[in-house]
Amino acid sequence: MKKALVASVALVALFPLGAAAQERTLTISVYAFAQDDYKTIVYDPFEAKCGCKLVVETGNSVERLAKMEANKANPVVDLAAVSMADGLAASRAGLIDKIDTSKLENFSRLYDVAKDPNGDGMSVGYTFYATSIAYRSDKMKIESWADLLKPEYVGHVAFPNVTTNQGPPALYMLGLALGKDTPDLKAPIEALGEKKDEIVTFYEKSSQLVQLMQQEEIWAAPIGRFSWAGFTKLDLPVAWATPKEGQTGGMNVLVMTKGSKNQDLALQFMDFWLSTDVQTKLAEKLIDSPANKEVKVSDKVANNITYGEDTAKNLKLIPSAAALDNRNGWLKEWNEKVGQ
Amino acid sequence: MFQNRAEALALALPAAIFAAVVFLLPVAILLSEGFRSDGAWTLAAYTDFFSQTLNRTVFFRTFRLGLEVTAVSAIIGYAAAFAIVNLPPKGKGRMIGLVTLPLMISPVARTYAWIVILGRTGIVNEAITGLGLSAEPLRLLFTETAVFIGLLQLFLPLMILSLISALENMPKDAIAAARVLGANWFQVFWKVILPLTREGLVVGGTLVFTGSLTAYITPAILGGSKVLMLETLMYQQVSVANNFVSASVIAFILIVMSFAANILLKRLATARNRR
Repeated sequence: MKKALVASVALVALFPLGAAAQERTLTISVYAFAQDDYKTIVYDPFEAKCGCKLVVETGNSVERLAKMEANKANPVVDLAAVSMADGLAASRAGLIDKIDTSKLENFSRLYDVAKDPNGDGMSVGYTFYATSIAYRSDKMKIESWADLLKPEYVGHVAFPNVTTNQGPPALYMLGLALGKDTPDLKAPIEALGEKKDEIVTFYEKSSQLVQLMQQEEIWAAPIGRFSWAGFTKLDLPVAWATPKEGQTGGMNVLVMTKGSKNQDLALQFMDFWLSTDVQTKLAEKLIDSPANKEVKVSDKVANNITYGEDTAKNLKLIPSAAALDNRNGWLKEWNEKVGQ
Repeated sequence: MFQNRAEALALALPAAIFAAVVFLLPVAILLSEGFRSDGAWTLAAYTDFFSQTLNRTVFFRTFRLGLEVTAVSAIIGYAAAFAIVNLPPKGKGRMIGLVTLPLMISPVARTYAWIVILGRTGIVNEAITGLGLSAEPLRLLFTETAVFIGLLQLFLPLMILSLISALENMPKDAIAAARVLGANWFQVFWKVILPLTREGLVVGGTLVFTGSLTAYITPAILGGSKVLMLETLMYQQVSVANNFVSASVIAFILIVMSFAANILLKRLATARNRR
């Protein structure tokens, strides 16, 4: 009996080894965010479906890109999730390949804005978010991004720092409102610089804003939709602005490494991630707003994410090329006009 | 303690190798970036750094705030430490416990508390408007004053604790003797207490000054980008501009400032000693 037990344990222990020999491995590189949920919603079901093994590398965009660049000759990662601008950066550095979208069954289900965000066929959007202004509807009325700078309001505004993800898009919209929307964002940065002493703060962490709003320190702040939920729980009348210039935001994309030996598997994984089922589950957990237009969610969920055809269509995103070419210039201009 | 030096060295070797490999070497590599350009050694990154007005403003602000926090914490620290040392043992233990308590709370939580206290509807502003000192709540948050208060609260306990141990090591009768010989309280402090506790002041001063120079969370939350400091500027350079050379320059400046402060304070202490 005992011998049999030992033998069976040994067999079971050996089994995964035997399987691994034939199993294929797909290495992906993603944001270190909500990984537990990703594992149950995306990774585990995909592994079961493809009979392959997923290796997940996490980190922020900058360091993951640097790693891909270092391993250019002999790529480790097969597929990566990065910001739209970093997708273009990877493409310019020759790190990624064109995506054969004819092999993606779910491609036609994507919102148009997500189909080819950088216009080079090298990336597909998997999630996006809107950025607009959360404001105290009893204290002020926001009809334009420029309203933030009105003398009666400006002393109650928190504006995102240029170093945050919300900073450049908000500046871009402010530029549109001021009628001077050059990619160097010179005009909006200058306009903010003139009011910098009155503006409450140039925030770095959006998590700080709910407290500032609750303390009536601020009445308004441009925020990403993913931070909106906290404001709705306040015992204050806070509204999501729909300025006449529109809303801005950001998008994350999937890219495929050049020279990867698992491109077909990477495409399968991409297709799985973009499927209505997976995108619905990710949306319901409030992790990623869906890029798949067939996703249907409850009003409660929809209120906390960026959702719907109209929203997607009207998002005014900063073109990636403009972001890449101007990032350092924005920071320099900002530090000169606002930072000191 | 050891029969021979070699034995002692051999025992110290693993720790030394560990420190060298995981700390000194990486730091050296990081810092060397700031001195290299196209494969040659150069100071270009440093002259470049100081040629920009913003960087100079930030440098002097960081330096000045560090000095202010150190000076004020020394003044408050002496008063507090002196009062605590003269308490009966039970009271002393309790007070030291109170002083150390903030050190056990995360700096993030402590800094967030200041947002509540210094806010427009916070206790400070309610007192100011309640007493009729100002009709409108004052703007306290996101100013240099807020950063100063935050840093002072963050590092004052270190100064108090260093001074308490220094004062306790001081001969108890020294003050009484000086008083009997006709010294006034200022002379007692300047000629007796200060020289006898300078070690504590050097330790406390170094901790407070280097702490204020390198604290990141407090200036980031209470000052934001309106009150940029070297450490918040360094974060920007790495996370946004991806400019590791500039960040390495700032890191080197901070390290030099910390060492300089320590050396200077020690010099000051021994200079008084020799006289």
